[in-house]
Amino acid sequence: MNEPAILIRLDDPPRTYRPGQSLSGQYRLESVEGDPIRAVEVSVLRYTEGKGEQDLAVHEFWRRDNDSGDLVDPRRPERFSTTLPPSPLSYDGQIIQIRWCVRVRAFLSRGRELVAEKPFRLGDGA
Amino acid sequence: MARNFRYFEKKRGHRRTGSRTLGSLGEAIFFALLLVLGCAGIVAGFVWLVIPEWRVHHGFVETTCLVLQKKLGEKEGDGGTLYRPEIQIEYEVHGIQHYRSTYDINYDGARAYSSDRDAAAAALEPFEKGRAYPCWYDPSQPDVAVVVRGYQGWLWLVFLVPGSFVAIGAGGLLYTLLRWGKSAERRAAMVQRAQPIELFDIDRPGETRLPNIPDLSDITSSPGTKLAYRLPLSHSPGWTLLGLAAACLLWNGSVSYFIVSAVRAYLAGQPDWLLTLFILPFLAIGIALVVCFVRQLVVATAVGPTLVEISDHPLLPGGEYRLLVSQSGRLNMRSLEVWLACREEATYRQGTNARTETRQVRRLPVFRREALAILPGEPFQAECSVCVPAGAMHSFRADHNEIDWSLVVRGEVVNRQAFERAFPVIVHPLSGASTPGSGGP
Repeated sequence: MNEPAILIRLDDPPRTYRPGQSLSGQYRLESVEGDPIRAVEVSVLRYTEGKGEQDLAVHEFWRRDNDSGDLVDPRRPERFSTTLPPSPLSYDGQIIQIRWCVRVRAFLSRGRELVAEKPFRLGDGA
Repeated sequence: MARNFRYFEKKRGHRRTGSRTLGSLGEAIFFALLLVLGCAGIVAGFVWLVIPEWRVHHGFVETTCLVLQKKLGEKEGDGGTLYRPEIQIEYEVHGIQHYRSTYDINYDGARAYSSDRDAAAAALEPFEKGRAYPCWYDPSQPDVAVVVRGYQGWLWLVFLVPGSFVAIGAGGLLYTLLRWGKSAERRAAMVQRAQPIELFDIDRPGETRLPNIPDLSDITSSPGTKLAYRLPLSHSPGWTLLGLAAACLLWNGSVSYFIVSAVRAYLAGQPDWLLTLFILPFLAIGIALVVCFVRQLVVATAVGPTLVEISDHPLLPGGEYRLLVSQSGRLNMRSLEVWLACREEATYRQGTNARTETRQVRRLPVFRREALAILPGEPFQAECSVCVPAGAMHSFRADHNEIDWSLVVRGEVVNRQAFERAFPVIVHPLSGASTPGSGGP
């Protein structure tokens, strides 16, 4: 039996997204038929890496929750779309790195979670 | 892969973070305990302190009593003799005579006694033996009666401690429960939505909001004399001087007490070598503080102010800007140089300490002049250009990580300590403005 997983796909991803550009894509849950899904969260977020404590901020956040009546059908791919902000841009410094990603988190039964990320770069250059 | 409960989360560098679930559970238990303790304290305070006094006012029946005797009661406490006023009264309830020694509702408790003899004696003053006074008795226990009733205001202070326990416990528990089982992204979204809307924080037409980029207003609030803006110093030398002066006074004031003792011992012909050896390192630190203070004072006063003006702000990658550097004072300088610096600053926890690491990641020379003499009233002024490299990272500020840009002026003065002054600037991403700066005021 396959392990449950989340697949994220971005629509025609460029090497670097530009501020103000639209980012869209879809995600799909695999092999979770026997495991009821309580909720799914989709975030477009940035976070820091490096020497310091992690700073995390979400640009967009969507949550679909069975308790709120937003039934999550694991077999159907779900789409997402957002317009990217002007800052902060992706950065690879000496002690600070700034990363962008689409993160999908699925909450399964008995407190189990599935997480998947699709990193992308936000930059002024093409 | 699906994850079950973990005792430890992922390893970050050489640091392993603890389980978030365990941490939240620990926090919840801690705050719940505080809340329970606080509530128990408040209930106990009400039961033992407030309700008896309230009952005297609202449940006791008024009647008249005859004072048979009055005296100052005494007992031995841990810190000496304790006193309380004692009034012996006779009163009648439903045809039955009652005799009792009393004062107020706390008469039989430990709180009736105090070490203040005068206060206890003064409490007896209003009563005279053989005279009738109003008194109040408990209808369910007619043997219990008081001749004084009233609320003791200070009792409410007792509730400060359990009250603060309740406030901290309830607040912490609510905060923990609100975060419970929520992902980092959901918590971040909740915090961002809950950010207070700043007063006067009005979106200006045509101005783009730039997340994580510091505010410009501190830098563009001061117009320049020749160019558009006069840049502020990163920190005022006045505060450094004030801090050093306070440190000098505190340290040397404390050390001087021991120095005086040691000198007196010498003068009395009984030198205390142990004390002398003990104070020597402290004296050395005190002298170092004074030297440091004097140096800073010289830099702040003799060097004179450094002014930097810029033709446009914020800066943009690829932009070129005119700069005016002005240095006053009476100085014979080996060199005066200016550079554009980019610095990364990261704050992290190590145990219970918060540590900050900074690293200069770019140092772009802007201007350098060697061997110059500055006379009082004739400040040295130079115009130059500063270029922000294309592709340079913009300024960035988050809770624990920062990327700062600044123009740094460094002067090497003959026979004096070199000085360095930083003037912060903000670099925006290209997308934050329509065109790179052209440099016109």
